[in-house]
Order: sequence, then C-alpha cells, then structure tokens
Amino acid sequence: MLQYLITRLAIAVPTFLAVMLITFTLTVISPFDPVAMMLAQQESLDTLQKDEIIERTRKQYGLDESFVVQFTKYVERVLQGDLGISIIGQRDVLRTIVKTFPISFQLGLAGAFLTALIGIPLGAIAALKQNSWADYSIVGGTLVFRSLPVFVLAPLLLVLFVLVLDVMKVPRGWDGLFHHKTILPIFILMLGPLPVVVRQTRQAVLDIFAQDYIRTAKAKGLKMWMIIGRHILRNALIPVVTTLGFIAEGLIVGSIFLDSIFAIPGFGGVAEAAFRGFDYPMLLGVTMVSSLMIILTNLLVDIVYPFLDPRIQLE
Amino acid sequence: MSSGSTIAATKANATLDLAPAKQRSLWGDAWRRLLSNRLSIIGITVAAILFFVAIFGPALAPYSYTQQDLMRVAEMPSADHWLGTDEIGRDLFSRVLYGARTATLVATFSTTISLVLGLSLGVLAGYGGRWADMIIGRITDIVMSIPGLLLAALIAVSLKDPIVRWAKDVYEANGFFLFADTTWLDLLVVFGGLAFVQWPGYARLIRAQILSLREEQYIKAAQSVGVPEWKIALRHLLPNALGPVIVTMTFSFSSAMAAEASLSYLGVGIRPPQASWGNMIQSNIGSWSYRPWLVAVPALTLAFVTLGINFLGDGLNDALNPKSGKAI
Repeated sequence: MLQYLITRLAIAVPTFLAVMLITFTLTVISPFDPVAMMLAQQESLDTLQKDEIIERTRKQYGLDESFVVQFTKYVERVLQGDLGISIIGQRDVLRTIVKTFPISFQLGLAGAFLTALIGIPLGAIAALKQNSWADYSIVGGTLVFRSLPVFVLAPLLLVLFVLVLDVMKVPRGWDGLFHHKTILPIFILMLGPLPVVVRQTRQAVLDIFAQDYIRTAKAKGLKMWMIIGRHILRNALIPVVTTLGFIAEGLIVGSIFLDSIFAIPGFGGVAEAAFRGFDYPMLLGVTMVSSLMIILTNLLVDIVYPFLDPRIQLE
Repeated sequence: MSSGSTIAATKANATLDLAPAKQRSLWGDAWRRLLSNRLSIIGITVAAILFFVAIFGPALAPYSYTQQDLMRVAEMPSADHWLGTDEIGRDLFSRVLYGARTATLVATFSTTISLVLGLSLGVLAGYGGRWADMIIGRITDIVMSIPGLLLAALIAVSLKDPIVRWAKDVYEANGFFLFADTTWLDLLVVFGGLAFVQWPGYARLIRAQILSLREEQYIKAAQSVGVPEWKIALRHLLPNALGPVIVTMTFSFSSAMAAEASLSYLGVGIRPPQASWGNMIQSNIGSWSYRPWLVAVPALTLAFVTLGINFLGDGLNDALNPKSGKAI
C-alpha cells in the first residue's frame, strides 16, 4: 500500500512541475515584460535614464539569465509561496487566491455533492428503466447541459426565475454557504458535470445488471430494492468515482463565469478579472492553483480506488 | 430502441429473403440506425441549418454585422429588425448569423487540427513501443491536468500579440497579402489554443482502440496468415476504430463551439466588432434584467445548436457502436 502511494505521488509531483514548465514557457513567449509594465506608470523618467533603469531592474530580477536558470528560480519562488504581485492593483497573488479560494471551494464542494446526490439516482433510474421514456428523458434532458457554459445558463435561468416566473430576487453577493442566495449558483454549477455522472452511473448499472451475481440474487428471490441497494449501487459507484477529476475541472471552469454574474467574491472572479486585464502573474497563479486542485483530486481518486475495488492490484 | 431496430431488421430480412440478395454495408446499416432515432434526426437538422447559415449567413443577413443605426439602439424585435437591435444599434439577427459562421469555423478547424494531432500521437503510442507509449501517456496526463479552458485562454493571451507582431513585420517586409489584415489571426490563435487542449482526448481514445482491437481474433487471424502490419492497420483496425472517433468528434465539435464562446466571453477569443455568440452575451450580460433578449438570443442559439449536435453525437454513438450501448 505504502509503495502504491509513493508511486502515485512520484507521478503527481513531476506532473505539477511540467504544468509549471508549460505555463512559464507561455509567459516567456508572451509580450508581457514585467519591468516595462512596472515602469510604464513612471513617466517622469527621461528616455535615456529609463533604458538604463530597465536594464538594471531586469538584471536585478534575473530576467537576463538563461531560460533554465529563470525557470529554476521561478520554481524555487513558487515553492516558497511567492507567486508574485498582480499588475492590476499590485496585490499579492497568493494572498488574493488564499482569500478568495475558500468561497469557491465551498460552492464547488456543494456543487459536487449535489451532482452526486441527483446524478447517481437519475443514472440508476435511467439504467433500470432502459429504453423507456424515463430513460430517454433523463439522458436527453441532461444532454442539454453537456458543454453548455455557465454564462449561457445563468442569464437564461435568471430571466426565467426573476423576470418570467418572478419567484426570486436577483441573488447577489456572498453571505455564507447556507444562505438562500447560493441556491441558484450551486444549481447552475451542478448542471455542468451532471450529464457525465448520469451517463457514467447509467453505464455502470447496465454493466453490473448483466453480471452473474445479479442473476443469482434474482434467482434466489431477493427483493429488487435490496438487489439495487446491496449489489448494484455499491458496485456502480466505483466507476463514478473516476469522474471526480472531471467534475473538479467542470466546477473550476464554471466558477470563472459564475462569480461575476452573481457578484460572488470568489476564486473564479479573480480568474475572470485576470483574463480581462491580461494580468499575467495572477493568470499564472490561478492556472497553477486550478491544476493543483485537479492533480490532487486525481491523486485522491487513485488512493481511494483500491479501497473501493479490491480487485485493483496495488503496484 | 435496439430491440425495436432488431425487429425492424428481421422484418426487413424476411422480405429481403424473397428478393435477390442485396448487399448491406456497415455504413448503410449505421445510417439506417441513425435515421431511426428521432433525436438524431433533430441533430442532423440542426447541424444542416448551422452549416447552411455558416456558409450563406452573410448573404441571408439583412444587415452587415457592423452596421449601426444609432437612432434605434437596443430595440425590441420588430419588422425591420427581427430580433431587435443591440446596445449600439446593430441588427441582432444579422450578428447571430455571423456568429454562427465564427462558431462553426472555430469548431471545424480546431476539431480537425486536434484530430490530426491526436491521431498521429495515438497511433505512435499504440505502435511505437513502450517508450513512445510512456512519453505520450505522460504528456497527455500533463495537458489534461490543466483545466482545458484556462490553458486555451492562456495560450490565446500569450501567443496572440507575438503572432500579430510577426505578421505585421512580414507584411511590412515583403507585403505578403494575407497579412495585410490581421483580424483573422484572432481565429487562428483560437484554433490553435483549442486544438492543443483537445488532442489528448483523441490520443487516448485511439491508443486504447489500437490496443484493444489488436487483441481481437480477426486481427490475430490476419496476422497469422501473414498480412503485413500496415495492411492490417488500414483494412481492419482503422474501420473498426472509426466509430468511436466519429462520436468523439461530434461531441468535441459542440464543446469547441462552447469553448469559442467562452474564450470570446473572457475577451481573449474573437474580439468585437467581429461577431461571436460569446462576446455578444458578454457585452450585454450586465443589462440582462432590462434588455433580456440581447442576452437570451445568443445564449439560446448556442444552447440549441450544442444540444442539437449532442443529440447527433448520441445518435451516432448508438448507430456506430450498437454493442456498446451508451458510452461516455
């Protein structure tokens, strides 16, 4: 078991390093020059002086060194928790992310929980009533939300609930997870990953339904609800766990669009603002933290999986 | 559904037994199965309309996508402007039609580029031996651990300006006509970014197909009678691996349209005044409560089109992989 954990970790760490390499390379290619950006505000410097100062500052920050040296130093800084200062507003990137992340994380967890709570039963019903109208409407109905971005869903649902049905006021802001304002944002977040969970559960239940032990259970006269509870759902959950990484990605991308629409002071809003303002240090920080979340989620799946499915060999 | 089509097939066979044997191809069967599904007919219709509008949209549009009428800003739908006018007096219907062209162009090209990339790397991983497989496997893992949209957006942000600057230099140096106008480079960067995010899916799928099909008995049989490996790959592997690839392509077509809209929404994809459903939603989302149609029209268009394409993908999945049921 320990060896298995070590191998998994040994894969996760270089993956994260490679992610850093990709993002860092992109910034090096990009037109963004931190020193020029920093000095752009100081117009009082005359041109000659400016060139000299730029030169000196570049040296000071190590920007004249080779790519490899720069990258190593960058990794060192990141490991020390220094993600740089944002261009817009000169904020500490790590501190901004740490401040906003818990809000998005709570919303995301609630979204993931709700996805499982709704998606797994729906998928199971679709499989048990295969090729019935229930199956078609569940599969077809959730297909609507596959690849539909949050910024398409959110305004449509707002128009529906606020203007047409008039059942709620516009939910704006953040007053904790259990405030009724979060219902619509969490619902919208959930819809993105929902189709995948429904389909995965449906397929898993169908596969298990064809197994011999289910036939045996039926033959010995076990009640249907007991077969479903004891044998089918327990085993069907195993493949569903593997979609967790995908769900995490869906929730992260969803929150990028969600936050500004509902004025939630979360991680996603920071990401959106960073893109709009071409705020490079912030963009790098956001991308890195998001990738870290996905890598950790996949690591978690890898660790949990052998416990759920003892047939998996620990190698 | 499968039982229904089996009955239909048996009936057809029963009548065909009397007639001289008519050959039915794999693709003919798949096509028939596709048409027997109501949802995939909706999908085919949506896809047909989309491509028609993408090609002939500018000819159908009553106005140009940039033409402003400042006397009639943000109007409700009327006889002159079927879907109303937007926040700076442009005809919304015309802009939706032009947006269809943008979305289709991006989806078509990024899907094609990523397919070619993923196909080559997947084949290399499947056939190239242990090292090639391991290296390509690691790279796909790495690319897949960055959220696709963030990576595509980061690529678009980083590469756009260097490419535009390079194109301007080339144009000034030798007047290469293509680079006189750099607006289409927006599209190019988006194609590239999205293709880079999408290829790992194909590479994985194709590798898995190669590995599992190679264990099939008909491939073993061909190998044992001495059919050369390239011929097996072309004659037996490729046609059998094609089904899942086509299904994945359909789904990633709709994802690419959504991703284009997302990038444009974030302001890093197709930039105004070029029409994209994403930037149309973005520029009006602040005023959704008093001009709901300006947001609802592009949003509903995108929703209907992606849904239609997904229906088609689902139908293709049933038609091309009748054994597998509904896969992801």
